[in-house]
Amino acid sequence: MAALIEVLAAGLFHAAVLFLVAAGLQLVFGVQRILNLACGSFYALGAYLGVTAGGLALGAGLSPLLALPLLVLAGAAVAALGPPVERLLRLVYDRDESFQLLLTFALVLMFQDLIRMGWGSQPQQVEGVYLAYGQVQLGAARIPVWNLLVLAAAIAIAGGLGLFLQRTDFGRILRATAENRRMAASLGVDTGRVYAAVFTLGTALGGIGGALVVPAAAAVPEKAVELVVEAFAVVVIGGLGSMPGALAGAAIVGLLRAGALLVWPELELLAVYAVVVAVLLLRPAGLFGRPAA
Amino acid sequence: MRGGALLAALAAVAALAAAPPLLGEYRTTLLLPVFGYGVALLGLNLLFGYGGLVSFGHAMFVAAGAYAAAVVTGVWRIESFEAVLLAAAAAGLALALPVGALCARYTKIFFGMLTLAFGMLFHSFLFKFYGLTGGDQGMRVRRPTLLGLEFEELDKTAFLVGPYYWYCLAVAALLALLMWRIVRSPFGLALRAQRDNPRKAEYLGVEVRRTRFVAFLVSAAFGAVGGAMLAVPTGLADPELAYWTHSGTLVFMTLLGGFAHFAGPLLGALAYVLLQDWLMSLTPYWRLLLGAVLALIVLACPQGLMGLPALLRARLAARRRRAAAPHPAPAE
Amino acid sequence: MSPPLLETYRVGRRYGDFVALRDVTLRVHPGETVAIVGPNGAGKTTLVNVLTGLLRPSEGWVRFLGSDIAGAGPVRLAQLGMARAFQLVQVFPELTAAETIAVGALAQAGRGRRMLASLGADRALRARVEEVAAVFGLGPVLHRPARELSQGQKKLLDVASAFALRPTVILLDEPTSGVATADKHGIMATLTEAARRAGVQALLLVEHDIDLVETYATRVVGLRGGEVLADLPVRAFFADEEVTAALVGRRPARGAQG
Ligand SMILES: Nc1ncnc2c1ncn2[C@@H]1O[C@H](COP(=O)(O)OP(=O)(O)OP(=O)(O)O)[C@@H](O)[C@H]1O
Ligand SMILES: [Mg+2]
Repeated sequence: MAALIEVLAAGLFHAAVLFLVAAGLQLVFGVQRILNLACGSFYALGAYLGVTAGGLALGAGLSPLLALPLLVLAGAAVAALGPPVERLLRLVYDRDESFQLLLTFALVLMFQDLIRMGWGSQPQQVEGVYLAYGQVQLGAARIPVWNLLVLAAAIAIAGGLGLFLQRTDFGRILRATAENRRMAASLGVDTGRVYAAVFTLGTALGGIGGALVVPAAAAVPEKAVELVVEAFAVVVIGGLGSMPGALAGAAIVGLLRAGALLVWPELELLAVYAVVVAVLLLRPAGLFGRPAA
Repeated sequence: MRGGALLAALAAVAALAAAPPLLGEYRTTLLLPVFGYGVALLGLNLLFGYGGLVSFGHAMFVAAGAYAAAVVTGVWRIESFEAVLLAAAAAGLALALPVGALCARYTKIFFGMLTLAFGMLFHSFLFKFYGLTGGDQGMRVRRPTLLGLEFEELDKTAFLVGPYYWYCLAVAALLALLMWRIVRSPFGLALRAQRDNPRKAEYLGVEVRRTRFVAFLVSAAFGAVGGAMLAVPTGLADPELAYWTHSGTLVFMTLLGGFAHFAGPLLGALAYVLLQDWLMSLTPYWRLLLGAVLALIVLACPQGLMGLPALLRARLAARRRRAAAPHPAPAE
Repeated sequence: MSPPLLETYRVGRRYGDFVALRDVTLRVHPGETVAIVGPNGAGKTTLVNVLTGLLRPSEGWVRFLGSDIAGAGPVRLAQLGMARAFQLVQVFPELTAAETIAVGALAQAGRGRRMLASLGADRALRARVEEVAAVFGLGPVLHRPARELSQGQKKLLDVASAFALRPTVILLDEPTSGVATADKHGIMATLTEAARRAGVQALLLVEHDIDLVETYATRVVGLRGGEVLADLPVRAFFADEEVTAALVGRRPARGAQG
């Protein structure tokens, strides 16, 4: 029972992080119709920025209890890359999907080495934060408070995103652009600005996801390419472009991995991809996606 | 034109056959993966260039071929390379039967995602089922015999840059010939027709799904045979062969050569191998440069190296026109 | 009278709650050129889609050469001998005109699946392609990719590839839409002549241009709101002021040039 709860908590922690990355992927796909393979690279960059910022701040005597806001900020700093990368991708908006995919793949290759140049290939972690918040005792199970905080942060971000998309003028413009580019443009929407903003927001989400993990697990350069496929799995299961889909998909993937680890570790990722394949075959539009016309 | 193509092909084969003594051991070793990749990419491009289907899971078949080579030579202790190639093709087909039956229902982004998911499914199988596949250690591929000959007197490098090199050149040439026939057959025409306009193709009697499925099978078999050819020099079949980034690299190589031309994938394999080697000699951060090259091709030269002459010609003509007409000509 | 080639009985088709076709009963006999007319949204394209097995009717049945073809799909219909050209011109942009025609010709010959036969060395195929191309005046552009052809040539190529199937019946959804008015008669003349030469037994034609309908059709089926309002020989159709007023608006001045 205790093991079950601990696994569940770990699964939800993972799901929270996946949601952030997948939400970025969804935003960009929803509006620009580009599937960004480099979303994992933004995640990895966020992780390393988190390592650096965390190391510096803690070294300078910052209380570990302030690590959460600090890491959120450090991760969000990846957003600085949003506008230039979006400018680059803008060159292929009306090209074939395969070219869009390949251009983002080129970004994956480049970021992988940029990260190596900046931080080397050794695993790096922010020490002394993970357990600084203590653990909660649930029966015999102990769950680090950090995990719960990250979960809460992800839920808060999800809620904030939902409100932003549904209630604000910019959110409405964004959804209108996702619905119909040309119509939005003819109504006077500055689609260029919308694209840049959306992409930047997506980048920030990925970066925050990465930064929140480093107290719990070390950052490694390979994480960039590993995470893409998982984020991919999330959006396929949830439905391309759908925010509720990202939430559901992340929960499914996170819990599935954790559950498989408990029951039959060999099946960990296998189970995820098997679900992806099943969803693509039975409901290609995903659980929350609209079927293509 | 046809005669020209034949002549160019013969010249290329002759040049490659004559190369080893001129290039020396190191550079000949460098050329070895070109044949394996060339074959695998011919398969990939049947789907990509001719069928309009971009697979992000082709590496799965390359890996299947490599593991088939490991099982045949290492576990079954059969040393004949001919048996290895047949087993690889069979393994590729066996894997492609279920995968292709499902993937042939989709196109575009969904085809890409589904192939990627299947590729990763296969990767995690290779990675996690330690008892069967050796997990992250992979499986050893032992040195095969060629046409029943053992070449005992040759050490490993001499074997690879000698008989193995020529054998692979011959296999690649024969398979290229086979692929040449396939793309110029009624089937190849149907494949291109469904790429351009599936609805119209159906009304002209093309069984679109069946066509895609058959192309998928052929593509997989080529991928697996290429994988087996690649695994002998490295002596290893490991799960990273099936990783999605390897699939991405395969698409990259094809694009580099030019997916719109029959010889594009072959040229792409050669160019990529040389480019990678050169970049690796320049800097440990060669991926950065490789990524930049890929971005440049996507943006500036989507037809790849094969399309370069036409691109340059067009640029030149445009410049000459501008020079000849200093005043902007009125639009028609 | 000989048995009908193509026959529908009380066919209905719904899109959700919207009824696009209601109670359509129709027969097409050898030798006929049947024009389907009606205002925009009358259900003409829907009817053609039902007749070509692309859409399964919600009610009623469709038969071609005596066998039920409801939802049979285009490939099977092509094999049975029904061809279709679309309202919006459909070509294969990267295929040459010759290759486009060859796709249909190979399917018709039952050789479309072969994987090792050489297209280049197939003399019979080349002869057939040239024969079809000649009928449509496509000889000079035979080796140009379709994307380089003019709109009118694309239209002809679209139809030519359908003719390569040697169909018994051919359905043409607005064969002259998107073509300059001056060319319309030329295209229709080419089409009917080609049909006669190719042994096509009946033509079904969706057409807005009343002048063309009057010149080339033998029978006119008027659709409105998804229902058949009139099914009359061409003379009788145009003689009935009430029917023409309801279906085609004004009666065109004879011989008027658009
Ligand atoms: N897939 C669909 N889903 C819902 N409604 C449809 C669909 N296709 C057609 N309709 C509707 O059915 C009606 C008939 O359409 P159809 O295209 O058959 O008309 P048409 O007579 O060919 O018109 P046009 O002259 O404009 O080509 C129209 O009102 C159209 O809006
Ligand atoms: Mg219509």
